[in-house]
Amino acid sequence: MNERPTPPEGPEARFRRVFAHLQPVADYAARRGSSDPEAIAAETMAIAWRRLDRVPVDDPRPWLFVTARNLLMAERRKSSRRSQADRALARPDAVPAVESADPAVTRALRALPERDREALLLVAWEDLTPARAAEALGIAPVAFRVRLLRARRRFARSLAADGLPNTPDVLEVKST
Amino acid sequence: MNAMDRLRTSRPASVPIEADREALFDRIVAMPPSGAAARPARRRRKLVLVAAVGLAVTLTAGTAVAVSTNLFGWHTDNTFIKDPRVWGKLYRDATHELRLPPGMVWPHRTLAPHTITNRSEPGGMAVAISQTAWECYWTEALRANDAQAAGQARAALTDLVRHHVVVAPAGSPENVAPPAGTRPPFMIYASDGGLGYVKHSYALAAAGDPSGVAQSCRANRGDLQIPPVR
Repeated sequence: MNERPTPPEGPEARFRRVFAHLQPVADYAARRGSSDPEAIAAETMAIAWRRLDRVPVDDPRPWLFVTARNLLMAERRKSSRRSQADRALARPDAVPAVESADPAVTRALRALPERDREALLLVAWEDLTPARAAEALGIAPVAFRVRLLRARRRFARSLAADGLPNTPDVLEVKST
Repeated sequence: MNAMDRLRTSRPASVPIEADREALFDRIVAMPPSGAAARPARRRRKLVLVAAVGLAVTLTAGTAVAVSTNLFGWHTDNTFIKDPRVWGKLYRDATHELRLPPGMVWPHRTLAPHTITNRSEPGGMAVAISQTAWECYWTEALRANDAQAAGQARAALTDLVRHHVVVAPAGSPENVAPPAGTRPPFMIYASDGGLGYVKHSYALAAAGDPSGVAQSCRANRGDLQIPPVR
């Protein structure tokens, strides 16, 4: 039986599939302390539309999270002009604040180096596989796995020091 | 419960987006896309531009270093300031060149101790304050159906974007500065389409839709005391 060739997807249909991730992008921004996560998500989508030929459609989340993260840092830089504490956060490598629903987890996350924290959160909160999270951080999957392992250990140690007993040192993470 | 499970269960709950998604989608796709159909012509234009720039650079540049640090007059600004008095004077000078909505006064700003910045930063901050203030004022004016106030905000922001905003060349470093003749105060936008988005939100506001300026106002107003529309 002959199959009819699939017509090429138009830009709007292609963007519709990217736009379906609006809520996860807003959540990503909100979890990292954005003052206006909806605005970050909307702007991320506007940039995705303008650069649609660069956005992977099979799973655009790593690309979207990178863009949202850049916007978050721009937002932070803009508001950081108001206080010294924020000024320190305005360094190009500064990461927005992170809040979890568990105060001890928040403290443990904040105690981590930013790179480790982001590796953990991309997997645990944003539900990316390690391979996709590696894309979001612009590093090789192997390097990401090493970073993730180190981050999990540091996080577990930090939580244990904060009073959580019997926290195993090696933790289970979904694989690719 | 192990630490990773505890981290997963502590994930903050998703807050549903309040905005009308379909309206947002329509607004975004109404902007020029990076569609495949337009790409060949754009790519040709880009190649021609790159070739022209390359030729001009080859003919006029003395050294490769000169080219990399001084593209069309844009250059890296390494003249840092660390004295709050110098910073304050530059900020005050900038406020004399800019406008705020009726009844609003310039907020006090200073350079925090043990901090350095470049000379254009105080002026850039003043521009950002003026921009945010007028965006908030425009939002209020549209919500209050005050056409006069809305027109005032629109004119102020049009003037601000035209005379006090510059776009750095693509790939510029953080401490890039515009050509020497650029009159301060100015705010430098990255070449990432951000200014296009700002202009788009102003176009929406001019058509009566405050969503874009309202979002910018919410995100950037911080401690700004913006008087109500009168």
